[in-house]
Amino acid sequence: MFELALIYTITIILSIIVAFLLVRLASLSSQARAWSEKTRKEKKVYPATFTDGSLRRQIYDEIVEFVDAKARDEASQRLFNIFNKELEKKITQKEEELNKKYERIISQKSQTEEIAWKKYKNVLVQKNQVEAIIRSVAEGVVVVDKDGKVIMMNPAAERLLGISHKEKIGKSLLENLKKEQLISLVKGSEDKEDREIDLISPQDETKKTIRASTAVIENENGQTIGMVSVLSDITKQKELEQMKADFLAKVTHELRTPLVAMDKSLSLLLDKSTGDVSEDQQELLSIAQRNLKRLNYLINDLLDLSRMEAGRIELKRSNIAVSNIIDEIIQSLDAWAKTKEIKITARIEENLPELNCDSQRIGQVLINLVGNAIKFTPQKGSIIIEAKLSRDKKEIEISVEDNGVGIAKEELTKIFDKFYQAAERAPTDITGFGIGLAIAKEIVELHGGRIWAESEKGQGAKFTFTLPL
Amino acid sequence: MENKPIKILIIDDEADFRRTMEFWFKSKGYIVNTTGDIELALQMIKENLASIIFLDLVMPQVDGVELLKKIREISPDVPVIIISAYVGDKEKIKKLDALGIDGVFYKGADFQEGLNLLEVALRKHRKIEK
Repeated sequence: MFELALIYTITIILSIIVAFLLVRLASLSSQARAWSEKTRKEKKVYPATFTDGSLRRQIYDEIVEFVDAKARDEASQRLFNIFNKELEKKITQKEEELNKKYERIISQKSQTEEIAWKKYKNVLVQKNQVEAIIRSVAEGVVVVDKDGKVIMMNPAAERLLGISHKEKIGKSLLENLKKEQLISLVKGSEDKEDREIDLISPQDETKKTIRASTAVIENENGQTIGMVSVLSDITKQKELEQMKADFLAKVTHELRTPLVAMDKSLSLLLDKSTGDVSEDQQELLSIAQRNLKRLNYLINDLLDLSRMEAGRIELKRSNIAVSNIIDEIIQSLDAWAKTKEIKITARIEENLPELNCDSQRIGQVLINLVGNAIKFTPQKGSIIIEAKLSRDKKEIEISVEDNGVGIAKEELTKIFDKFYQAAERAPTDITGFGIGLAIAKEIVELHGGRIWAESEKGQGAKFTFTLPL
Repeated sequence: MENKPIKILIIDDEADFRRTMEFWFKSKGYIVNTTGDIELALQMIKENLASIIFLDLVMPQVDGVELLKKIREISPDVPVIIISAYVGDKEKIKKLDALGIDGVFYKGADFQEGLNLLEVALRKHRKIEK
């Protein structure tokens, strides 16, 4: 029973203790709530200088829990100062770094820019130079695009064509101009040779001759993008050429009259119809007559040259045997050849058909060829004149071959040019093919034939021409 | 010395021209030999048949300068007058001058000019010899 009473008592005592503890806990917890509420109220009281979200306020918030209220403001100020200082230092450092980087980039950039600017200025200077040159060249320059529209033209071209670039830029050159006159400017020339255009000047109705050299402009891919024409006024030149041709014709005619008189006089003396002549006299008279003949050939050539320039050589064709022409030439040049002990041989194929040609003109071709052969063959040389049927039997081939000084290969095509002189023919240095070969070529081509030369320096020369049957 | 006959040698490939010159100089009392053959010309110089030479600058197969060199090898002192048909070739004349020439007689000119040149050359050479 006692035991029961003891347990009961203990239980009551324990319950009293528990109750007491619970009351104490409740009082403590209410205290804590009150304290925390007090602190919360305190935090919200910031110094007046703090702005929302400012650094000072952030610092203040962080230290509020650890620092006494009185010291908070001061502490936050100091911390702020330290922090601010560090921050400023960092910022300055970063700024410097960035500045350096920036400067580097700027300098690199300005270098590139400077180069580009320099290049641009150079191009600009060059462009201005080219434009100034094009503007000031005496020749007219016209540039058209691939459709024939004018891209540019210089003042000289405006003057020559009598039009202003303002009315032509972007338009076809042919607009308002006679098509046939200027077609070549736009179309260009297929054989790339210069063209001559006759223009009637719109200002004063005078006739102008313009030479147009046209070239295709291609881009880097080789596509045609336009055409450039260089125009020069050759009116004066043309007039002079005409004057020269007229003068030449007149002079040669004037020269022939006294020549005939001299030749006939010499013949009369030589055939002794006016009395006896001594051997020496006879020789001198023969020299005079031979050289008169040479002079006559030269004058004939000169006369033909002026005819050629005026396009006035006409052929008087007749049927004749080639052998007749060749025999006559040998007869007339033999005396000259003999003075150098040169032998002229004719090799004429048998049964050659007759030629329909201007026999006098073909004789002139042969005189020029054989004459050159005599001139360029040393003492005791030999000349062979050959006539035969071509392989296809459609032409007769006539050749004159000598064993003289020969002609350098690179000159073979030039020797048929008018006034071409083989001046570079050192060491022999024989000047003056003169006009004979140019005339020979003209005559042969008028007959529908061809002429060419084969030779090597020091190996003699062979001139061949063909005449169609 | 004064009585020694003057022998003119004319070297030119154009026979009519040299023959006419020959007649002309003979008419003035000179002894004249002419040839268009180079080897023969050199032979004549070797044999003292030339006291003065007229030399054509332009002949087939031989360059005037080369020929003058050969002549100078045989006879360094013989007076040489160049015959030239072409007035323009000054460079060549310079080269010839270096080898020693006594003038240039242009083919188109009067023979009298050739004679004048010849007389001047002979006087000059006589002085040198004296």
